[in-house]
Amino acid sequence: MITLKHIHKAYAGKTVLHNVSVQFPTRQLTSLIGPNGAGKSTLLMLIARLLKPCSGEILINGRNAAHYRVSEYARQVATLRQHPQFSLRLTLEELVAFGRFPHSRGALNEEDRQQIDTAIGFLGLDHLRGAYIDELSGGQRQMAFLAMTIAQQTDYLLLDEPLNNLDMKHAVQIMRALRRLCDEQGRTVILVVHDINFAANYSDHILALQGGAVRFCGPVAEVVTRSRLQALYGLDFEILRSERGFVCNYFNPSDQEREHEQG
Amino acid sequence: MNSAIIRHAIWPLLIALALAFVLVGSGLDLAYVIPRRLLRLAAMVLGGVCVAWSSIAFQSITGNRILTPAIMGYEALYLLLQALLILTLGSASLALLGHHGNVLLSMLCMLGYSWALHRWLLGNGKNNLYFLLLFGLVLTLVLTTFTQFIQLRISPGEFSVLQGFAYTSFNRADGQQLLYSGALVLGVGVVGFKTLPSLDVLALGRDQALSLGVDYPRYVRLYLALIAILVAVSTSLLGPTAFMGIFVANITYALARSSRHRLTLPLGCAIAISLFIVAQFLVEQVFNYKTTVGILVNLVCGAYFLALMIRSRGDA
Repeated sequence: MITLKHIHKAYAGKTVLHNVSVQFPTRQLTSLIGPNGAGKSTLLMLIARLLKPCSGEILINGRNAAHYRVSEYARQVATLRQHPQFSLRLTLEELVAFGRFPHSRGALNEEDRQQIDTAIGFLGLDHLRGAYIDELSGGQRQMAFLAMTIAQQTDYLLLDEPLNNLDMKHAVQIMRALRRLCDEQGRTVILVVHDINFAANYSDHILALQGGAVRFCGPVAEVVTRSRLQALYGLDFEILRSERGFVCNYFNPSDQEREHEQG
Repeated sequence: MNSAIIRHAIWPLLIALALAFVLVGSGLDLAYVIPRRLLRLAAMVLGGVCVAWSSIAFQSITGNRILTPAIMGYEALYLLLQALLILTLGSASLALLGHHGNVLLSMLCMLGYSWALHRWLLGNGKNNLYFLLLFGLVLTLVLTTFTQFIQLRISPGEFSVLQGFAYTSFNRADGQQLLYSGALVLGVGVVGFKTLPSLDVLALGRDQALSLGVDYPRYVRLYLALIAILVAVSTSLLGPTAFMGIFVANITYALARSSRHRLTLPLGCAIAISLFIVAQFLVEQVFNYKTTVGILVNLVCGAYFLALMIRSRGDA
Protein backbone atom coordinates (compact mmCIF):
# COMPACT_ATOMS: atom_id res chain seq x y z
CA MET A 1 0.00 0.00 0.00
CA ILE A 2 1.24 3.46 -0.93
CA THR A 3 -0.05 6.26 1.26
CA LEU A 4 0.70 9.96 0.86
CA LYS A 5 0.20 12.24 3.83
CA HIS A 6 0.04 16.03 3.52
CA ILE A 7 2.56 16.17 0.70
CA HIS A 8 3.78 19.62 -0.17
CA LYS A 9 6.21 20.32 -2.99
CA ALA A 10 7.50 23.63 -4.33
CA TYR A 11 10.19 24.46 -6.90
CA ALA A 12 12.01 27.69 -6.19
CA GLY A 13 9.12 29.04 -4.14
CA LYS A 14 6.47 28.03 -6.67
CA THR A 15 4.04 25.52 -5.17
CA VAL A 16 3.44 22.48 -7.37
CA LEU A 17 1.66 20.21 -4.93
CA HIS A 18 -0.28 21.46 -1.98
CA ASN A 19 -1.36 19.27 0.92
CA VAL A 20 -1.94 16.10 -1.09
CA SER A 21 -3.14 13.11 0.95
CA VAL A 22 -4.14 10.00 -0.98
CA GLN A 23 -3.97 6.23 -0.83
CA PHE A 24 -3.25 4.03 -3.81
CA PRO A 25 -5.11 0.71 -3.69
CA THR A 26 -2.85 -2.34 -4.03
CA ARG A 27 -3.07 -4.77 -6.94
CA GLN A 28 -4.89 -2.17 -8.97
CA LEU A 29 -4.10 0.12 -11.85
CA THR A 30 -4.35 3.80 -10.96
CA SER A 31 -4.13 6.56 -13.54
CA LEU A 32 -3.07 10.08 -12.63
CA ILE A 33 -4.90 12.53 -14.87
CA GLY A 34 -5.27 16.27 -15.08
CA PRO A 35 -4.27 19.24 -17.23
CA ASN A 36 -0.65 20.18 -17.88
CA GLY A 37 1.05 21.60 -14.84
CA ALA A 38 -1.36 19.92 -12.44
CA GLY A 39 1.53 18.19 -10.64
CA LYS A 40 0.93 14.62 -11.88
CA SER A 41 4.51 13.87 -12.85
CA THR A 42 5.83 15.59 -9.75
CA LEU A 43 3.60 13.40 -7.61
CA LEU A 44 4.84 10.28 -9.38
CA MET A 45 8.49 11.35 -9.06
CA LEU A 46 7.98 11.96 -5.33
CA ILE A 47 6.72 8.40 -4.92
CA ALA A 48 9.66 7.18 -7.00
CA ARG A 49 11.98 9.13 -4.68
CA LEU A 50 13.48 10.95 -7.64
CA LEU A 51 12.32 14.13 -5.93
CA LYS A 52 12.07 14.95 -2.25
CA PRO A 53 8.87 16.40 -0.80
CA CYS A 54 9.19 19.73 1.01
CA SER A 55 6.95 18.41 3.75
CA GLY A 56 4.66 15.48 4.37
CA GLU A 57 5.46 11.81 4.14
CA ILE A 58 5.07 8.88 1.78
CA LEU A 59 4.45 5.45 3.29
CA ILE A 60 5.29 2.27 1.39
CA ASN A 61 3.90 -0.80 3.15
CA GLY A 62 3.46 1.33 6.25
CA ARG A 63 7.09 2.45 6.33
CA ASN A 64 8.31 5.94 5.49
CA ALA A 65 9.79 5.86 1.96
CA ALA A 66 12.60 8.19 2.99
CA HIS A 67 13.86 5.57 5.45
CA TYR A 68 14.47 2.90 2.80
CA ARG A 69 17.97 2.50 1.41
CA VAL A 70 18.25 3.19 -2.33
CA SER A 71 19.00 -0.45 -3.11
CA GLU A 72 16.18 -1.67 -0.89
CA TYR A 73 13.69 0.72 -2.42
CA ALA A 74 14.51 -0.53 -5.93
CA ARG A 75 13.24 -3.96 -4.91
CA GLN A 76 9.90 -2.44 -3.91
CA VAL A 77 9.27 0.25 -6.49
CA ALA A 78 10.27 0.33 -10.17
CA THR A 79 10.05 3.56 -12.12
CA LEU A 80 9.95 4.16 -15.84
CA ARG A 81 10.49 7.64 -17.18
CA GLN A 82 10.68 8.76 -20.76
CA HIS A 83 13.87 8.22 -22.69
CA PRO A 84 13.87 10.78 -25.46
CA GLN A 85 17.40 10.20 -26.67
CA PHE A 86 19.24 7.02 -26.01
CA SER A 87 22.76 6.83 -27.32
CA LEU A 88 24.04 3.77 -25.50
CA ARG A 89 24.79 0.72 -27.55
CA LEU A 90 22.96 -2.08 -25.77
CA THR A 91 20.90 -4.98 -26.97
CA LEU A 92 17.35 -5.37 -25.76
CA GLU A 93 18.39 -8.34 -23.68
CA GLU A 94 21.21 -6.38 -22.04
CA LEU A 95 18.79 -3.56 -21.23
CA VAL A 96 16.24 -5.91 -19.69
CA ALA A 97 19.07 -7.49 -17.67
CA PHE A 98 19.55 -4.12 -15.94
CA GLY A 99 16.17 -4.74 -14.35
CA ARG A 100 17.83 -7.45 -12.27
CA PHE A 101 20.44 -5.05 -10.90
CA PRO A 102 18.60 -4.38 -7.61
CA HIS A 103 18.65 -8.12 -6.93
CA SER A 104 21.99 -9.29 -8.25
CA ARG A 105 24.11 -6.08 -8.39
CA GLY A 106 25.31 -7.01 -11.86
CA ALA A 107 26.22 -10.70 -11.40
CA LEU A 108 23.34 -12.55 -13.03
CA ASN A 109 22.35 -15.92 -11.62
CA GLU A 110 19.99 -18.57 -12.96
CA GLU A 111 16.91 -16.95 -11.43
CA ASP A 112 17.84 -13.59 -12.93
CA ARG A 113 18.13 -15.12 -16.39
CA GLN A 114 14.75 -16.73 -15.94
CA GLN A 115 13.15 -13.44 -14.94
CA ILE A 116 14.71 -11.73 -17.94
CA ASP A 117 13.29 -14.41 -20.24
CA THR A 118 9.90 -14.13 -18.58
CA ALA A 119 9.79 -10.35 -18.91
CA ILE A 120 10.81 -10.46 -22.58
CA GLY A 121 8.28 -13.21 -23.28
CA PHE A 122 5.56 -11.38 -21.36
CA LEU A 123 5.69 -8.50 -23.82
CA GLY A 124 6.26 -10.75 -26.85
CA LEU A 125 9.69 -9.27 -27.59
CA ASP A 126 11.53 -12.55 -28.17
CA HIS A 127 12.25 -11.73 -31.80
CA LEU A 128 14.01 -8.50 -30.77
CA ARG A 129 16.27 -9.96 -28.07
CA GLY A 130 19.49 -9.24 -29.92
CA ALA A 131 18.35 -5.96 -31.49
CA TYR A 132 20.14 -2.77 -30.46
CA ILE A 133 17.95 -0.37 -28.48
CA ASP A 134 19.03 2.66 -30.48
CA GLU A 135 17.86 0.96 -33.68
CA LEU A 136 14.34 0.18 -32.44
CA SER A 137 11.26 2.26 -33.19
CA GLY A 138 9.85 4.45 -30.42
CA GLY A 139 7.13 1.94 -29.58
CA GLN A 140 9.48 -1.01 -29.46
CA ARG A 141 11.92 0.95 -27.34
CA GLN A 142 9.21 1.80 -24.86
CA MET A 143 8.28 -1.90 -24.70
CA ALA A 144 11.94 -2.76 -24.09
CA PHE A 145 12.15 -0.34 -21.17
CA LEU A 146 8.88 -1.69 -19.82
CA ALA A 147 10.34 -5.20 -19.99
CA MET A 148 13.29 -3.98 -17.92
CA THR A 149 10.91 -2.52 -15.35
CA ILE A 150 8.92 -5.78 -15.26
CA ALA A 151 12.10 -7.82 -14.77
CA GLN A 152 12.76 -5.75 -11.67
CA GLN A 153 9.95 -7.81 -10.06
CA THR A 154 8.71 -5.11 -7.74
CA ASP A 155 5.29 -4.90 -6.13
CA TYR A 156 4.90 -1.33 -7.35
CA LEU A 157 5.35 0.01 -10.87
CA LEU A 158 5.39 3.74 -11.60
CA LEU A 159 5.21 4.96 -15.17
CA ASP A 160 5.49 8.55 -16.32
CA GLU A 161 3.49 9.04 -19.51
CA PRO A 162 4.35 5.63 -20.97
CA LEU A 163 2.10 6.27 -23.99
CA ASN A 164 3.80 9.47 -25.07
CA ASN A 165 4.53 9.56 -28.81
CA LEU A 166 3.25 6.05 -29.40
CA ASP A 167 0.81 5.00 -32.09
CA MET A 168 -2.52 3.51 -31.02
CA LYS A 169 -1.42 -0.07 -31.43
CA HIS A 170 1.65 0.26 -29.23
CA ALA A 171 -0.32 2.29 -26.71
CA VAL A 172 -2.94 -0.45 -26.50
CA GLN A 173 -0.24 -3.11 -26.22
CA ILE A 174 1.37 -1.29 -23.31
CA MET A 175 -1.90 -0.69 -21.49
CA ARG A 176 -2.96 -4.32 -21.92
CA ALA A 177 0.38 -5.49 -20.61
CA LEU A 178 -0.03 -3.27 -17.55
CA ARG A 179 -3.57 -4.59 -17.06
CA ARG A 180 -2.23 -8.15 -17.11
CA LEU A 181 0.50 -7.25 -14.61
CA CYS A 182 -2.25 -6.23 -12.18
CA ASP A 183 -4.63 -9.07 -12.91
CA GLU A 184 -2.23 -11.97 -13.33
CA GLN A 185 0.69 -11.00 -11.12
CA GLY A 186 -1.03 -8.84 -8.53
CA ARG A 187 1.22 -5.84 -9.04
CA THR A 188 0.25 -2.28 -8.24
CA VAL A 189 0.61 0.04 -11.21
CA ILE A 190 0.46 3.82 -11.08
CA LEU A 191 0.84 5.83 -14.25
CA VAL A 192 0.51 9.34 -15.56
CA VAL A 193 -1.58 9.36 -18.70
CA HIS A 194 -2.88 12.21 -20.81
CA ASP A 195 -5.42 10.41 -22.94
CA ILE A 196 -8.58 10.24 -20.84
CA ASN A 197 -9.87 7.35 -22.96
CA PHE A 198 -6.90 5.16 -22.13
CA ALA A 199 -7.26 6.08 -18.47
CA ALA A 200 -11.00 5.32 -18.47
CA ASN A 201 -10.76 2.01 -20.30
CA TYR A 202 -7.81 0.38 -18.59
CA SER A 203 -7.70 1.73 -15.04
CA ASP A 204 -9.36 0.54 -11.88
CA HIS A 205 -8.82 3.80 -10.17
CA ILE A 206 -8.38 7.40 -11.22
CA LEU A 207 -6.74 10.24 -9.35
CA ALA A 208 -7.35 13.65 -10.87
CA LEU A 209 -5.10 16.56 -10.01
CA GLN A 210 -5.64 20.20 -10.76
CA GLY A 211 -3.43 23.10 -9.76
CA GLY A 212 -1.42 20.96 -7.36
CA ALA A 213 -4.38 19.61 -5.42
CA VAL A 214 -6.50 16.48 -5.66
CA ARG A 215 -9.66 17.30 -7.58
CA PHE A 216 -11.29 13.90 -7.28
CA CYS A 217 -10.30 10.30 -6.90
CA GLY A 218 -12.07 6.95 -6.92
CA PRO A 219 -13.03 3.92 -8.99
CA VAL A 220 -13.39 4.60 -12.71
CA ALA A 221 -17.14 3.97 -12.84
CA GLU A 222 -17.69 6.59 -10.17
CA VAL A 223 -15.44 9.37 -11.30
CA VAL A 224 -15.60 9.29 -15.10
CA THR A 225 -18.63 11.51 -15.38
CA ARG A 226 -19.43 14.40 -17.63
CA SER A 227 -19.54 17.04 -14.95
CA ARG A 228 -16.27 15.99 -13.30
CA LEU A 229 -14.28 15.83 -16.51
CA GLN A 230 -15.72 19.12 -17.71
CA ALA A 231 -14.67 20.80 -14.51
CA LEU A 232 -11.22 19.21 -14.64
CA TYR A 233 -10.27 20.01 -18.23
CA GLY A 234 -12.56 22.95 -19.05
CA LEU A 235 -13.87 21.13 -22.13
CA ASP A 236 -17.31 20.01 -23.13
CA PHE A 237 -17.44 16.23 -22.64
CA GLU A 238 -19.81 13.61 -23.92
CA ILE A 239 -19.39 10.18 -22.37
CA LEU A 240 -20.58 7.20 -24.36
CA ARG A 241 -20.74 3.85 -22.64
CA SER A 242 -20.84 0.65 -24.62
CA GLU A 243 -20.13 -3.01 -23.96
CA ARG A 244 -16.52 -2.49 -24.99
CA GLY A 245 -15.91 0.40 -22.62
CA PHE A 246 -16.04 4.17 -22.44
CA VAL A 247 -15.55 6.77 -25.07
CA CYS A 248 -15.05 10.25 -23.74
CA ASN A 249 -15.67 12.61 -26.62
CA TYR A 250 -14.38 16.13 -26.10
CA PHE A 251 -13.41 17.10 -29.63
CA ASN A 252 -16.24 19.47 -30.58
CA PRO A 253 -18.54 21.26 -28.19
CA SER A 254 -22.21 20.29 -28.29
CA ASP A 255 -24.68 22.64 -30.05
CA GLN A 256 -25.95 23.77 -26.72
CA GLU A 257 -22.47 24.70 -25.52
CA ARG A 258 -21.72 26.46 -28.80
CA GLU A 259 -24.80 28.64 -28.44
CA HIS A 260 -23.78 29.33 -24.87
CA GLU A 261 -20.33 30.48 -26.04
CA GLN A 262 -21.75 32.71 -28.74
CA GLY A 263 -24.48 34.13 -26.55
CA MET B 1 34.57 -6.14 -38.89
CA ASN B 2 33.57 -8.48 -36.13
CA SER B 3 33.94 -6.79 -32.76
CA ALA B 4 34.79 -10.05 -30.98
CA ILE B 5 37.77 -10.61 -33.30
CA ILE B 6 39.00 -7.07 -32.66
CA ARG B 7 38.62 -7.50 -28.92
CA HIS B 8 40.82 -10.58 -28.98
CA ALA B 9 43.24 -9.53 -31.70
CA ILE B 10 44.14 -6.27 -29.99
CA TRP B 11 46.10 -7.96 -27.19
CA PRO B 12 48.60 -9.93 -29.32
CA LEU B 13 48.92 -6.80 -31.46
CA LEU B 14 49.66 -4.74 -28.38
CA ILE B 15 52.32 -7.20 -27.21
CA ALA B 16 53.91 -7.24 -30.66
CA LEU B 17 53.99 -3.44 -30.70
CA ALA B 18 55.53 -3.34 -27.24
CA LEU B 19 58.20 -5.86 -28.22
CA ALA B 20 58.98 -3.97 -31.41
CA PHE B 21 59.23 -0.72 -29.46
CA VAL B 22 61.64 -2.21 -26.92
CA LEU B 23 63.78 -4.26 -29.29
CA VAL B 24 63.96 -2.59 -32.73
CA GLY B 25 67.30 -0.85 -33.15
CA SER B 26 68.28 -1.45 -29.55
CA GLY B 27 71.31 -3.54 -30.44
CA LEU B 28 70.08 -5.68 -27.51
CA ASP B 29 71.84 -3.27 -25.21
CA LEU B 30 70.61 -4.50 -21.84
CA ALA B 31 72.71 -2.03 -19.90
CA TYR B 32 71.20 1.24 -21.10
CA VAL B 33 68.92 1.32 -24.15
CA ILE B 34 66.48 -1.43 -23.20
CA PRO B 35 65.99 -0.39 -19.55
CA ARG B 36 65.36 3.20 -20.70
CA ARG B 37 62.83 1.99 -23.22
CA LEU B 38 61.14 -0.22 -20.64
CA LEU B 39 60.70 2.83 -18.43
CA ARG B 40 59.08 4.71 -21.30
CA LEU B 41 56.93 1.69 -22.07
CA ALA B 42 55.76 1.59 -18.45
CA ALA B 43 54.89 5.29 -18.65
CA MET B 44 52.90 4.63 -21.82
CA VAL B 45 51.02 1.70 -20.29
CA LEU B 46 50.09 3.70 -17.20
CA GLY B 47 49.25 6.80 -19.23
CA GLY B 48 47.17 4.81 -21.69
CA VAL B 49 45.17 3.18 -18.93
CA CYS B 50 44.60 6.56 -17.29
CA VAL B 51 43.53 8.37 -20.46
CA ALA B 52 41.20 5.62 -21.67
CA TRP B 53 39.65 4.83 -18.33
CA SER B 54 39.11 8.45 -17.27
CA SER B 55 37.62 9.49 -20.62
CA ILE B 56 35.24 6.55 -20.98
CA ALA B 57 34.08 6.73 -17.36
CA PHE B 58 33.64 10.50 -17.59
CA GLN B 59 31.54 10.16 -20.75
CA SER B 60 29.36 7.52 -19.13
CA ILE B 61 28.70 9.70 -16.11
CA THR B 62 27.89 12.78 -18.13
CA GLY B 63 25.94 10.77 -20.71
CA ASN B 64 27.63 12.02 -23.86
CA ARG B 65 30.44 11.19 -26.25
CA ILE B 66 32.17 14.53 -26.57
CA LEU B 67 33.23 15.64 -23.11
CA THR B 68 36.43 14.31 -21.56
CA PRO B 69 38.22 15.43 -18.42
CA ALA B 70 40.69 17.31 -20.64
CA ILE B 71 37.87 19.34 -22.20
CA MET B 72 36.32 20.01 -18.81
CA GLY B 73 39.45 21.89 -17.77
CA TYR B 74 41.37 19.32 -15.71
CA GLU B 75 44.55 19.68 -17.76
CA ALA B 76 44.29 23.46 -18.05
CA LEU B 77 44.06 23.53 -14.26
CA TYR B 78 47.21 21.41 -14.01
CA LEU B 79 49.12 23.81 -16.24
CA LEU B 80 47.85 26.81 -14.31
CA LEU B 81 49.01 25.20 -11.10
CA GLN B 82 52.48 24.66 -12.55
CA ALA B 83 52.63 28.24 -13.79
CA LEU B 84 51.53 29.56 -10.40
CA LEU B 85 54.13 27.47 -8.63
CA ILE B 86 56.88 28.84 -10.84
CA LEU B 87 55.61 32.41 -10.52
CA THR B 88 55.43 32.35 -6.74
CA LEU B 89 58.39 30.16 -5.91
CA GLY B 90 60.44 30.44 -9.09
CA SER B 91 62.07 27.41 -10.60
CA ALA B 92 63.22 26.78 -7.06
CA SER B 93 59.74 25.37 -6.59
CA LEU B 94 60.94 22.29 -8.40
CA ALA B 95 63.61 21.78 -5.80
CA LEU B 96 61.45 22.89 -2.91
CA LEU B 97 58.47 20.64 -3.55
CA GLY B 98 60.42 17.98 -5.31
CA HIS B 99 58.94 16.11 -8.22
CA HIS B 100 56.83 13.95 -5.94
CA GLY B 101 55.54 16.85 -3.90
CA ASN B 102 54.44 18.45 -7.14
CA VAL B 103 52.57 15.30 -8.19
CA LEU B 104 50.86 15.12 -4.82
CA LEU B 105 49.84 18.77 -4.98
CA SER B 106 48.44 18.34 -8.52
CA MET B 107 46.45 15.38 -7.35
CA LEU B 108 44.93 17.32 -4.46
CA CYS B 109 44.10 20.19 -6.79
CA MET B 110 42.31 17.92 -9.22
CA LEU B 111 40.41 16.15 -6.47
CA GLY B 112 39.26 19.57 -5.31
CA TYR B 113 38.27 20.47 -8.86
CA SER B 114 36.30 17.23 -9.19
CA TRP B 115 34.53 17.97 -5.97
CA ALA B 116 33.59 21.43 -7.23
CA LEU B 117 32.36 19.98 -10.54
CA HIS B 118 30.22 17.52 -8.66
CA ARG B 119 28.91 20.15 -6.29
CA TRP B 120 27.87 22.69 -8.89
CA LEU B 121 27.54 20.93 -12.22
CA LEU B 122 27.15 17.18 -12.25
CA GLY B 123 25.47 16.35 -8.96
CA ASN B 124 21.87 16.82 -10.00
CA GLY B 125 21.94 14.50 -13.00
CA LYS B 126 20.46 17.13 -15.33
CA ASN B 127 23.48 17.20 -17.58
CA ASN B 128 22.86 19.51 -20.45
CA LEU B 129 25.56 18.59 -22.92
CA TYR B 130 25.71 21.98 -24.60
CA PHE B 131 25.90 23.81 -21.32
CA LEU B 132 28.66 21.53 -20.04
CA LEU B 133 30.55 21.82 -23.31
CA LEU B 134 30.29 25.59 -23.26
CA PHE B 135 31.29 25.68 -19.61
CA GLY B 136 34.26 23.41 -20.23
CA LEU B 137 35.48 25.38 -23.22
CA VAL B 138 35.13 28.74 -21.48
CA LEU B 139 36.80 27.46 -18.34
CA THR B 140 39.68 25.96 -20.32
CA LEU B 141 40.03 29.25 -22.16
CA VAL B 142 40.05 31.28 -18.94
CA LEU B 143 42.54 28.97 -17.24
CA THR B 144 44.78 28.94 -20.31
CA THR B 145 44.68 32.73 -20.54
CA PHE B 146 45.63 32.99 -16.89
CA THR B 147 48.51 30.62 -17.54
CA GLN B 148 49.65 32.72 -20.50
CA PHE B 149 49.36 35.86 -18.44
CA ILE B 150 51.63 34.33 -15.83
CA GLN B 151 54.04 33.15 -18.51
CA LEU B 152 54.58 36.75 -19.53
CA ARG B 153 55.70 37.61 -16.05
CA ILE B 154 58.34 34.96 -15.55
CA SER B 155 61.91 34.81 -16.81
CA PRO B 156 62.80 33.03 -20.07
CA GLY B 157 64.59 30.27 -18.18
CA GLU B 158 61.59 29.56 -16.03
CA PHE B 159 59.38 29.84 -19.10
CA SER B 160 61.20 26.94 -20.73
CA VAL B 161 60.70 24.87 -17.58
CA LEU B 162 57.00 25.66 -17.78
CA GLN B 163 56.87 24.76 -21.45
CA GLY B 164 58.25 21.38 -20.59
CA PHE B 165 55.03 20.69 -18.67
CA ALA B 166 52.83 21.52 -21.64
CA TYR B 167 53.92 18.71 -23.98
CA THR B 168 53.13 15.04 -23.96
CA SER B 169 56.33 13.16 -23.27
CA PHE B 170 57.33 9.80 -21.88
CA ASN B 171 60.77 10.83 -20.74
CA ARG B 172 60.01 12.84 -17.65
CA ALA B 173 59.03 10.01 -15.32
CA ASP B 174 61.61 8.26 -13.18
CA GLY B 175 61.29 4.73 -11.83
CA GLN B 176 60.05 5.87 -8.47
CA GLN B 177 57.25 7.97 -9.88
CA LEU B 178 56.24 5.12 -12.16
CA LEU B 179 56.11 2.85 -9.16
CA TYR B 180 53.72 4.90 -7.08
CA SER B 181 51.73 5.99 -10.13
CA GLY B 182 51.34 2.30 -10.89
CA ALA B 183 50.22 1.63 -7.35
CA LEU B 184 47.65 4.43 -7.57
CA VAL B 185 46.30 3.20 -10.90
CA LEU B 186 46.11 -0.31 -9.49
CA GLY B 187 44.16 0.99 -6.50
CA VAL B 188 41.77 2.88 -8.77
CA GLY B 189 41.48 -0.22 -10.93
CA VAL B 190 40.48 -2.40 -8.00
CA VAL B 191 37.80 0.02 -6.80
CA GLY B 192 36.70 0.64 -10.38
CA PHE B 193 36.40 -3.02 -11.23
CA LYS B 194 34.39 -3.78 -8.12
CA THR B 195 31.87 -1.11 -9.05
CA LEU B 196 31.91 -1.75 -12.80
CA PRO B 197 28.27 -2.96 -13.04
CA SER B 198 27.20 0.22 -11.24
CA LEU B 199 29.00 2.28 -13.87
CA ASP B 200 26.92 0.54 -16.55
CA VAL B 201 23.79 1.56 -14.66
CA LEU B 202 25.03 5.14 -14.09
CA ALA B 203 25.29 5.48 -17.87
CA LEU B 204 21.50 5.09 -18.07
CA GLY B 205 21.14 8.47 -16.38
CA ARG B 206 20.25 9.68 -12.91
CA ASP B 207 16.59 8.72 -12.79
CA GLN B 208 17.02 5.24 -14.19
CA ALA B 209 20.06 4.58 -12.04
CA LEU B 210 18.22 5.61 -8.87
CA SER B 211 15.24 3.55 -9.90
CA LEU B 212 17.54 0.54 -10.28
CA GLY B 213 18.89 1.01 -6.79
CA VAL B 214 22.19 2.75 -7.52
CA ASP B 215 22.88 5.63 -5.16
CA TYR B 216 23.53 8.08 -7.99
CA PRO B 217 25.11 11.04 -6.15
CA ARG B 218 27.38 8.74 -4.17
CA TYR B 219 28.63 6.82 -7.19
CA VAL B 220 29.09 9.93 -9.31
CA ARG B 221 31.17 11.40 -6.50
CA LEU B 222 33.19 8.20 -6.25
CA TYR B 223 33.80 8.03 -9.98
CA LEU B 224 34.72 11.69 -10.28
CA ALA B 225 37.28 11.14 -7.53
CA LEU B 226 38.70 8.09 -9.35
CA ILE B 227 38.81 10.10 -12.59
CA ALA B 228 40.61 12.97 -10.83
CA ILE B 229 43.30 10.56 -9.62
CA LEU B 230 43.69 9.06 -13.09
CA VAL B 231 43.95 12.46 -14.77
CA ALA B 232 46.42 13.68 -12.15
CA VAL B 233 48.56 10.58 -12.67
CA SER B 234 48.50 10.88 -16.44
CA THR B 235 49.16 14.64 -16.61
CA SER B 236 51.99 14.50 -14.12
CA LEU B 237 53.41 11.45 -15.89
CA LEU B 238 53.02 12.47 -19.54
CA GLY B 239 51.75 16.03 -19.61
CA PRO B 240 48.45 17.07 -21.18
CA THR B 241 46.99 14.73 -23.79
CA ALA B 242 44.32 17.18 -24.98
CA PHE B 243 41.88 15.55 -27.37
CA MET B 244 43.27 12.05 -27.25
CA GLY B 245 40.60 11.00 -24.74
CA ILE B 246 37.76 11.73 -27.18
CA PHE B 247 39.44 9.80 -29.96
CA VAL B 248 40.22 6.82 -27.81
CA ALA B 249 36.72 6.68 -26.32
CA ASN B 250 34.92 7.00 -29.64
CA ILE B 251 37.18 4.58 -31.47
CA THR B 252 36.54 2.16 -28.61
CA TYR B 253 32.75 2.50 -28.89
CA ALA B 254 32.94 1.97 -32.64
CA LEU B 255 35.09 -1.14 -32.35
CA ALA B 256 33.45 -2.67 -29.28
CA ARG B 257 29.93 -2.10 -30.64
CA SER B 258 28.70 -2.22 -27.08
CA SER B 259 28.37 0.17 -24.16
CA ARG B 260 29.15 -2.42 -21.49
CA HIS B 261 32.17 -1.20 -19.56
CA ARG B 262 33.37 -4.75 -19.10
CA LEU B 263 34.18 -4.60 -22.83
CA THR B 264 34.89 -0.94 -23.47
CA LEU B 265 37.34 -0.21 -20.64
CA PRO B 266 39.91 -2.94 -21.42
CA LEU B 267 39.60 -2.29 -25.16
CA GLY B 268 40.00 1.46 -24.61
CA CYS B 269 43.15 0.90 -22.55
CA ALA B 270 44.61 -1.34 -25.26
CA ILE B 271 43.84 1.23 -27.95
CA ALA B 272 45.35 4.11 -25.98
CA ILE B 273 48.52 2.17 -25.16
CA SER B 274 48.91 1.03 -28.78
CA LEU B 275 48.53 4.60 -29.98
CA PHE B 276 51.18 5.84 -27.58
CA ILE B 277 53.58 3.10 -28.60
CA VAL B 278 53.09 3.69 -32.31
CA ALA B 279 53.49 7.45 -31.92
CA GLN B 280 56.57 7.19 -29.73
CA PHE B 281 58.09 4.55 -32.04
CA LEU B 282 57.61 6.86 -35.01
CA VAL B 283 59.06 9.82 -33.12
CA GLU B 284 62.15 7.85 -32.12
CA GLN B 285 62.81 5.73 -35.19
CA VAL B 286 61.32 7.57 -38.15
CA PHE B 287 61.23 11.27 -37.32
CA ASN B 288 64.29 11.24 -35.14
CA TYR B 289 62.69 13.49 -32.50
CA LYS B 290 61.79 16.16 -35.07
CA THR B 291 58.11 15.93 -34.14
CA THR B 292 56.24 15.23 -30.90
CA VAL B 293 54.03 12.42 -29.69
CA GLY B 294 51.17 14.84 -29.15
CA ILE B 295 51.17 15.95 -32.77
CA LEU B 296 51.36 12.40 -34.10
CA VAL B 297 48.65 11.10 -31.78
CA ASN B 298 46.27 13.86 -32.79
CA LEU B 299 47.09 13.31 -36.46
CA VAL B 300 46.61 9.54 -36.38
CA CYS B 301 43.54 9.62 -34.14
CA GLY B 302 41.92 12.46 -36.02
CA ALA B 303 42.36 10.82 -39.40
CA TYR B 304 41.16 7.44 -38.20
CA PHE B 305 38.20 8.93 -36.38
CA LEU B 306 37.12 10.92 -39.44
CA ALA B 307 37.42 7.82 -41.62
CA LEU B 308 35.33 5.89 -39.14
CA MET B 309 32.64 8.56 -39.08
CA ILE B 310 32.41 8.70 -42.85
CA ARG B 311 32.42 4.93 -43.31
CA SER B 312 29.78 4.17 -40.72
CA ARG B 313 27.78 7.32 -41.53
CA GLY B 314 27.21 8.60 -38.07
CA ASP B 315 26.61 5.41 -36.15
CA ALA B 316 30.24 5.34 -35.05
